[in-house]
Amino acid sequence: MDIFHNLLYGFSIGFQPANILACFIGVLMGTLVGVLPGIGPVGAISILLPTTFHMSPVSAIIMLAGIYYGVMYGGSTTSILVNIPGEAASVVTCLDGYQMAKQGRAGPALGIAAFGSFIAGTLGLVGLMLFASPLAEFALRFGPPEYFAVILLGLTLVTYLSQGSVIKALMMATFGFILSCVGLDQISASPRMTFNIIQLFDGIDMVPLVMGLFGISEILINIEESTNPQILKTKIKNIFPSISDWIQAKGPILRGSVLGFFIGILPGGGGVISSFLSYSLEKRISKNPEKFGKGAIEGVAGPESANNSATSGAFVPFFTLGIPPNVVMALLFGALAIHGMRPGPLLLQDHPDIFWGVICSMYIGNVMLLILNLPLIPMWVQVLKVPYRILFPLILLFCLIGSYSLKNSSFDVIVMIIFGIVGYLFKKFNYEGAPLTLAFVLGPMVELNLRQSLLLSKGSFFIFFTRPISATFIIIAIILCITPLFSYFIKMKEKHRPPVTN
Amino acid sequence: MRLNLVDQLSGFFWIGISIFVCLESVHSEIGTYQSPGAGFFPFWSGITLGIFALILIAKSWIEKKETKVMDLWKGKEWDKVILTLTSLLIYALLLPRLGYLITTFGLMAFLFSLIGRPRLWIQGVSALITMLVTYIIFYVWLKVQLPKGIFGF
Repeated sequence: MDIFHNLLYGFSIGFQPANILACFIGVLMGTLVGVLPGIGPVGAISILLPTTFHMSPVSAIIMLAGIYYGVMYGGSTTSILVNIPGEAASVVTCLDGYQMAKQGRAGPALGIAAFGSFIAGTLGLVGLMLFASPLAEFALRFGPPEYFAVILLGLTLVTYLSQGSVIKALMMATFGFILSCVGLDQISASPRMTFNIIQLFDGIDMVPLVMGLFGISEILINIEESTNPQILKTKIKNIFPSISDWIQAKGPILRGSVLGFFIGILPGGGGVISSFLSYSLEKRISKNPEKFGKGAIEGVAGPESANNSATSGAFVPFFTLGIPPNVVMALLFGALAIHGMRPGPLLLQDHPDIFWGVICSMYIGNVMLLILNLPLIPMWVQVLKVPYRILFPLILLFCLIGSYSLKNSSFDVIVMIIFGIVGYLFKKFNYEGAPLTLAFVLGPMVELNLRQSLLLSKGSFFIFFTRPISATFIIIAIILCITPLFSYFIKMKEKHRPPVTN
Repeated sequence: MRLNLVDQLSGFFWIGISIFVCLESVHSEIGTYQSPGAGFFPFWSGITLGIFALILIAKSWIEKKETKVMDLWKGKEWDKVILTLTSLLIYALLLPRLGYLITTFGLMAFLFSLIGRPRLWIQGVSALITMLVTYIIFYVWLKVQLPKGIFGF
């Protein structure tokens, strides 16, 4: 009964005209960004973050969340029609989606991606509703050592699951911690690494940092490539999948939804990993695994459902523990912080409007997306034809205005450009920006909880091992840190083993 | 000898950053384990970064995978990256002095010409439209305080 009342309350917030508009803008922008190759959800949210400053906190989060799951929907279009993923979570969709399009089945591929995303998004929201409240109550037992341990575990998982080198990801996370220290100390208010620059006393702002690191750097990488994606010239017909398509896709959609939700909860999980896992799962259990990669509808339905469901899953640790499990949620964390709020177990008690409003707006947003995606597919195809030479100056200008509007100062613009250069070099040298951003956002929390824990224990690090919850998290984090070392040494040993001769 | 110069170079760069952060943290007072000071967290973060950088360098020695720094820019139109960055920096510096309208027109006209080289009048008209539309959206509708500069517009 409680859930029913809360849902009604949430819908009363979600259906407010301002929130419906925010949700619509969010999903529309998200789909647009998802369709356009080159800008991912992180870049899009960081670019559009300043536009939410004038909104209420609920509308701001509704819009940003809309962008997040909108990108997941839109990303499939480019994967299927151009064989270029609109964003990382749609990489797997290219494998079978593009093959389906080449066989003249672009319509069913786009259709099943949209329907699968809708079903998964809705199921994921049911999961979010059921899991969030009990977890938030559990999180009320957390003290500084538990918070420190769970954040440490989260960051370890993010680096462990990163696509590139684990050591580089760990370095990025550490550098993120260092950057988060710039400014006045939270406890003693003494300046740290400010170099007598007044603007740095408040610390480095998250908005120019992420805009530079993800938005500007992405554009720089794109303009140095002289590739021009070719759109497949195929007629898009039969967007509504046939009954036989549905029979083949129903299992992957349901499995992808459940898998995606739980992967989304894990720090570092998110859409990318869930879509890859769903694809391998479907291929493994399929009676005809040889069909995969040659236009199997299961290869589109499963991953597309999984990456959408993961979006809902990511809100569980965000709302209940106040810990963003991925970089997009870190941006949402920052957005709430700008409005003077902090996600966590108390958010459900103190600001139920945000929690239930956002959940219910996601239901509304999922319906909007289905309406947007199916009839508007031809329009999205036209968007794909906008030349990059027109697009990139506009994106750059939005970034410049966005960072300037933060404090009406060109200092933030310069900070953004510097982080743009840094992000560009990171991409060149194979360093990932995600662990850095996550650590940057979580840095103040980690530092405060570490220092409080040490004060509580009079300087003993055993406090993290004597309390069961923190001990569990820390031990898992240590195991995760050691595992790559072991596998590295095993690999090296095998490499240097002399070849067996008969 | 085959060396991963990319990782070596970045490893040494991070060691430099690590030393710098540690020295800065000492200035801010590290404190003790019983009573950690303002420099405690950045100091240990700096040390950790240094250790990871050393591991990266050691790994690049052991792996013997040859990569050169210049290869990262091979076949790329890197001159466009430099031109874009320079124009952005000039824009940021001129923005408070010349105001939003003039600097944005200049930047857009330049960026529109960077890829594809369109005709001069197309470039100018596109820049003008972009400048005016964004001005209406951000200054008039969203009330963003865009700088006016010395000319007062």
